[in-house]
Amino acid sequence: MCNCENTYIPIPMKVEKILIENPDRSLRTYDLSFVNEEDRKKFTYMPGQFCEFSILGKGESPFGIASSPTEEGILKFTVSRTGSVTNEIHYLQEGDIVGIRGPMGNWYPLEKLKGQDVVIIGGGFAFTTLRSMIVYMLENRDDYGKITVIYGARNPDLFIYKDELKEWDKRDDIILHLTVDKPIKGWNKLCGFVPTITKDVKPDPTSWCIVCGPPIMIKFTLPVLLEIGFAHDKIYTSLERRMKCGIGKCGRCGIGSKYVCIDGPVFSYEELKKIPDAF
Amino acid sequence: MIKIKKTGLNEFIEYLMNDYDVYGSADVGKKTAFKKIDSASEIRHDITNTHLSPKDVFFPQSEVLFQYSDDGLKVPKKNEKPIAVWGMRNCDTSSLMMLNKVFGDAHQMSEKDMYKDPYWKMKYDNCLIFNQACNEPLSTCFCNWFEGNPFAKKGADVFVVDTGDYFILEGISDKGKAFLTKYKTGEDTTKADLNKIAELKKTAESFMPDVVDIKPLFNKMNKIWDEPIWEEISAKCINCGACTFVCPTCHCFDVSDEGKGKKGKRIRLWDSCMFQIFTREASGHNPRGLSTQRVRQRIMHKYNYFMDNYEQHLCTGCGRCVQVCPVNLDIREVIKQVLDYKLVKNEDN
Repeated sequence: MCNCENTYIPIPMKVEKILIENPDRSLRTYDLSFVNEEDRKKFTYMPGQFCEFSILGKGESPFGIASSPTEEGILKFTVSRTGSVTNEIHYLQEGDIVGIRGPMGNWYPLEKLKGQDVVIIGGGFAFTTLRSMIVYMLENRDDYGKITVIYGARNPDLFIYKDELKEWDKRDDIILHLTVDKPIKGWNKLCGFVPTITKDVKPDPTSWCIVCGPPIMIKFTLPVLLEIGFAHDKIYTSLERRMKCGIGKCGRCGIGSKYVCIDGPVFSYEELKKIPDAF
Repeated sequence: MIKIKKTGLNEFIEYLMNDYDVYGSADVGKKTAFKKIDSASEIRHDITNTHLSPKDVFFPQSEVLFQYSDDGLKVPKKNEKPIAVWGMRNCDTSSLMMLNKVFGDAHQMSEKDMYKDPYWKMKYDNCLIFNQACNEPLSTCFCNWFEGNPFAKKGADVFVVDTGDYFILEGISDKGKAFLTKYKTGEDTTKADLNKIAELKKTAESFMPDVVDIKPLFNKMNKIWDEPIWEEISAKCINCGACTFVCPTCHCFDVSDEGKGKKGKRIRLWDSCMFQIFTREASGHNPRGLSTQRVRQRIMHKYNYFMDNYEQHLCTGCGRCVQVCPVNLDIREVIKQVLDYKLVKNEDN
């Protein structure tokens, strides 16, 4: 059955590649390929959208799509081992068949960002859709102005996509500021929480900014951006909530009259300030 | 408009059963609810509001989304016959129209089929609703606060009035009219019947409470989100969730898998915003971890958020939550409390 006729039916996907992202093996990145060519053709998405990752017998959990639409044929998800579904995902082996439902939700304002300088601020393993966004912009490099990335993790092990970060660091068309919470032996980049580093980096307030990370990071980074002078409608963030249906019906991801799954997950600060207690 | 002698009603119901799966108000265990009937005599005609709302006819408490096995996924098939509901009250008919906005029309996302719920649509889209007038509304009824009344016909396919010896049936929708035209056994109504209906309506209306003007409710609620009123309102709530289960408009659900190994099913089940686990994330973070936040969510959803999205309240005044609440948290009182509330933090203008 076509997924547009019945959104509850997962699309079958094959686990192509599993990458263990950190020494304690709690973060893994999965490259999934479409089992059916027809599904692959139909599945079009934009950076910022998410899917319900489905393990039959265990259930579903929502994850941002970490691959970029420019990486054809695969969908990438990075999963932290936290609950029963993510535990089961961590048991997967290459070659296994899983299901996904999506793409769901809205996406980062890529059209509006054309020709503009872009600041990306991320924290921890919420860097997934930001990776999608960065890969997309680098693939269409001429469409965008200066790209600045501020990315923080508790310690160096907890960064995801470490090989790509190294590559980006070598390029001169993207500026990368990596920071860890506390000084640690062997780490020669920045130290300090993301809000503090943002203050130090002081990105140009005429640029557009996308912030994605744990709620506490977003909460303290937004005031810094406002202080620097970013326009309210040029700051975007992506919210996370517990979700089930992903299509605005089951009720749990409601914030005010909005549903994170269909009205978001991407919201501008202009929209968010009208919604009570968004994070 | 036709009339059917009460003694001949079972014949009519059986005629209906030829073309439809018929649901009617009946005893289910110690409670009353709408259930699929096998014979016309199962229907009880003396129930005003059933204990459980008829939402589960179209949105069952548990529903299989698909079964999975080595042979792939199997989606439940649409029933051969469409659904007809006999004896639904207008508060419930209205609630189905609200739920249809969420599940059926996908109003906010009208262009995209992916936002329409196929399980709802295969039951609701061709249904036939016999909406019965309430001759004796209950003490907990307050549909008149929401532009309803005991004799309202909105959303009905056929409007039914019990006049004592007869049931008078009036076709409202095209579907309803067509069905009545097909049924040849009814008698014509007379002027006396119309007078009787008018008289019954007047009596029924006298049972209703004074109307509370709820027009200012939406704007007032825009200002009270962070006010201390929520602590007052939620103080005695024990978060049992009973109100959400009997409510004809509450529609939150969970999706859960049942099975062992490679065989099992994915099911959706009613859930409730009253439960802490409803929003608790795997990380432990919970955006609505406090009882106060959850009570606020329910009340705000009913009288503010839904209004924001669909320009109507998500409440029809059926009064079931008032009947069932173990701590007598009366939603009518909550509405009055909000309307009368003097803002502490935010300016009133």
